[in-house]
Amino acid sequence: MEEPILKIQNLHTVYQGKTETVYAVNGVSFSLYPRETIGLVGETGAGKTTTALSIMQLLPERIGKITEGSICYKGEELVGKKNAEMCLIRGAHISMIFQDPMTALNPVMTVGDQIYESLEIHNYDNKSEHELQERVDELLMLVGIPANRKHEYPHQFSGGMKQRIVIAIALACKPQLLIADEPTTALDVTIQAQVLVLMEELKEKLGTSMIMITHDLGVVAQTCDKVAIMYAGEIVEYGTVEDIFNSDKHHPYTKGLFDALPSLDEHMKRLKPIEGLMPDPANLPSGCSFHPRCPYCREDCKNGHPYLYEEEGHIICCNLFREGNV
Amino acid sequence: MGKMQLKDSEKSLVIKKKGQAGEIWRRFKRNKIAMFGMVLFIAILLVVIFADFIVSYDVALKQEISQRLQPPSSEHLFGTDNFGRDIFARIIHGSRNSLLVGIGAVAIGITIGGLLGAIAGFYGRHLDNIIVRAMDTIMCIPLMLLVLSIVAALGASMVNVLLAMMIANVPQYTRIVRAAILPVVGQDYIEAAKSCGTPNRWIIIQHVIPNAIGPIIVQATMAVGTMIINAAGISFLGMGIQPPTPEWGAMLNEAKNFMISQPYTVVFPGVAIGLTALSLNLMGDGLRDALDPKLKD
Amino acid sequence: MTSLIHAVDLTKYFQVGKNRFLHAVDKVNFDIQEGKTLGVVGESGCGKSTLGRVALGLLPATSGELYYRDKNILLKGKINKELRKEMQIVFQDPYSSLNPRMSVYELIAEPLVRNHVYSKRQDTLKRVVELMDTVGLAQRFINSYPHEMDGGRRQRVGIARALALKPKFIVCDEPVSALDVSIQAQILNLLMDMQEEMKLTYLFITHDLSVVKHISDEIMVMYLGQCVEKAPAQELFSNPLHPYTKALLAAIPVPRLGVSLKHNLLKGEVSDPINPQPGCRFAKRCAYCKPECTGQDYPLAEKTPGHFVACELWK
Repeated sequence: MEEPILKIQNLHTVYQGKTETVYAVNGVSFSLYPRETIGLVGETGAGKTTTALSIMQLLPERIGKITEGSICYKGEELVGKKNAEMCLIRGAHISMIFQDPMTALNPVMTVGDQIYESLEIHNYDNKSEHELQERVDELLMLVGIPANRKHEYPHQFSGGMKQRIVIAIALACKPQLLIADEPTTALDVTIQAQVLVLMEELKEKLGTSMIMITHDLGVVAQTCDKVAIMYAGEIVEYGTVEDIFNSDKHHPYTKGLFDALPSLDEHMKRLKPIEGLMPDPANLPSGCSFHPRCPYCREDCKNGHPYLYEEEGHIICCNLFREGNV
Repeated sequence: MGKMQLKDSEKSLVIKKKGQAGEIWRRFKRNKIAMFGMVLFIAILLVVIFADFIVSYDVALKQEISQRLQPPSSEHLFGTDNFGRDIFARIIHGSRNSLLVGIGAVAIGITIGGLLGAIAGFYGRHLDNIIVRAMDTIMCIPLMLLVLSIVAALGASMVNVLLAMMIANVPQYTRIVRAAILPVVGQDYIEAAKSCGTPNRWIIIQHVIPNAIGPIIVQATMAVGTMIINAAGISFLGMGIQPPTPEWGAMLNEAKNFMISQPYTVVFPGVAIGLTALSLNLMGDGLRDALDPKLKD
Repeated sequence: MTSLIHAVDLTKYFQVGKNRFLHAVDKVNFDIQEGKTLGVVGESGCGKSTLGRVALGLLPATSGELYYRDKNILLKGKINKELRKEMQIVFQDPYSSLNPRMSVYELIAEPLVRNHVYSKRQDTLKRVVELMDTVGLAQRFINSYPHEMDGGRRQRVGIARALALKPKFIVCDEPVSALDVSIQAQILNLLMDMQEEMKLTYLFITHDLSVVKHISDEIMVMYLGQCVEKAPAQELFSNPLHPYTKALLAAIPVPRLGVSLKHNLLKGEVSDPINPQPGCRFAKRCAYCKPECTGQDYPLAEKTPGHFVACELWK
């Protein structure tokens, strides 16, 4: 068995406000193996982005804090690392792609310079400027942009092209781990398809591991190997894509997510939304955090941690599976 | 979902009045610094109103050459100036003119400038172009020069100085208000209001101005101090408030030759201007926050 | 059955410079029967939002006619106040479409107050409470401000505002795009229930094909200001004709395994909508492009009853 490239254990992250504490991530654990893509799926406030920022150690200073747990990158503990040490890891080993390509690029720098900059920062083996410039051309070509456009400014590119440039910057130093935070949400469907296909190809070519943060189950089906469904800062269901899309055993929340989607194949008179709302992360319900919205809620769900069901790596965090039946 | 909660909340269904003066006051009250500013300002206002009861106006004008440039003592609380006039009395009685010029110029300037800026920002296109270009043209002329020309043309008097400063102020407020309004005009709720038939004047009053008022209030409160100083400059050039009428800015100007040897002659009027500006500024800051329902906690 | 709203060659150009016109909506025709929904799909910049604004008279049309109950309402490019009440809009972003300084009561009451619907305050209050009930908003929110509510509830306020004047025709401009999946389903159900109850007619604008399929009776696909295909919802999805529609359908990531996006992947991106050349605007990205495709404009042609397409391949 290969060593995991990233191992997160029992991660707890909070945002300490003036009057209240927001419990954003509550005990997330997962492992990511080389060349694997894990999808973190969930709705707004599920703690997906906070998990990513915890890995990068980019939580807002003084407010965001990791209170418990460990994040191991290749056996190296990231929690508690100093900013200077993290700078050596960020960009070079772990890169992040943000949601909005329109604001992720500096409008007064040419795209070539922006890629060059990220190469220069992590230029540990003192490559010459010429070599670095060649690498810039190579990277642009890799993401499907003609190298002669490197002297142009971000506003001269369309949204999809900008996201390609953002990807090129993220991949500049050949990171082992790429965190993509909703990389295609701001793009149109046809462009989204192009970018997803590109990311898939690049991942195969470069052997990068990836954490894909998304709310779109369609994107998950396209890109991921493993899936973690998140709700209120916890992983409620974890498994391979086959487990999530093909198995008939699911957490009620996962089931609700699938049922709420309007289908392209069959016609439904009414959609089946999940009743109620996301809980307030500053004031989480006791027991299973999904219990106030769960149609199968029982007495034992209201208190204590829900049962952890496991079957060949498919983990479901729900009391329904306590007796082994659905 | 809605129906279930309907019953238990029926008794408590009280609609809060528009504007929510009480709510704003409650939020304002919680801001200690803003409250301090308000208390200070009220104190200054009381001085303005009851100046005659504190010390008679004659004292402020009485020149006693033998008593000139006396340091503060029990007889002359803030000392005397180079004509032997009691500085304390002059500050008390100068407050009226100074506040009138400072607050008056800003208030009227901001009303007219704000209206022009709102029209320019809201309607855009040609109207925007015309207003902004016209204002730019006025702004090309240095403020002092403009004020002086206007006062020279109209004749030196307190009212004319006020009028001149007001005119000179309009362009800058037009600019500020327009800049504050532009991002608001692009918001969907403006279009939403249009789509339910709200007339434009209501959209400006109800939707645009309340959402753009923050930076305008802050700018306005900061400008009051500057206006008092500017009015002093005009007085100094002999075109504004005529001596011996007491006025803070004019007092500063007269005393500047004794700044090193008799610092108290500049310190007291300076502090008076500073405190007025400070009180308004703190109050403005607090008011901006209190008007924003998003900053409730 | 008569049509409620009917557009003939509706056109909207924006002038962006000297002799430079952005063709946002270019000769679009549609016809919506009372109580039905026309879905408009397309990518950003295809003019679907502008179409919605023009159909409501919020933006004056450059040319074309718009009939409401067989009356041409765009005579002076403007719509009169009485009609305004019958036509409303629900916005995409429930964050920016509500004035942050107004409470829920003020927001829902605004259309009632501005149109002097009730003379007594008590009646206005009664109607606001009734509307909140209709859209499923608990009464305890009546004094809340938008920022104190989540996206779904804000969108309910937006819908209540739109319904306040008892409109007949509502333009829904991406009403669920900014919402989470589970909330999206709640709002879609609400919109469909409202339609059934009040016989509302919708022009439903969205980029999400699964949403548009779910809610629409008829769907119009737009590309760069023009309608390239129009068909009943089921027909469009089971038998798409235009190459762009096909590519669009193939690009949706479906929540199912084993469906590859690589198949039928569109190349390039949407071209410039400023002073476009005559001819099919999709030609540059089209895999089936022929020399005849450029040079002349393509009108919509009826292929099978009710199914219109503008393409050389189906001439």
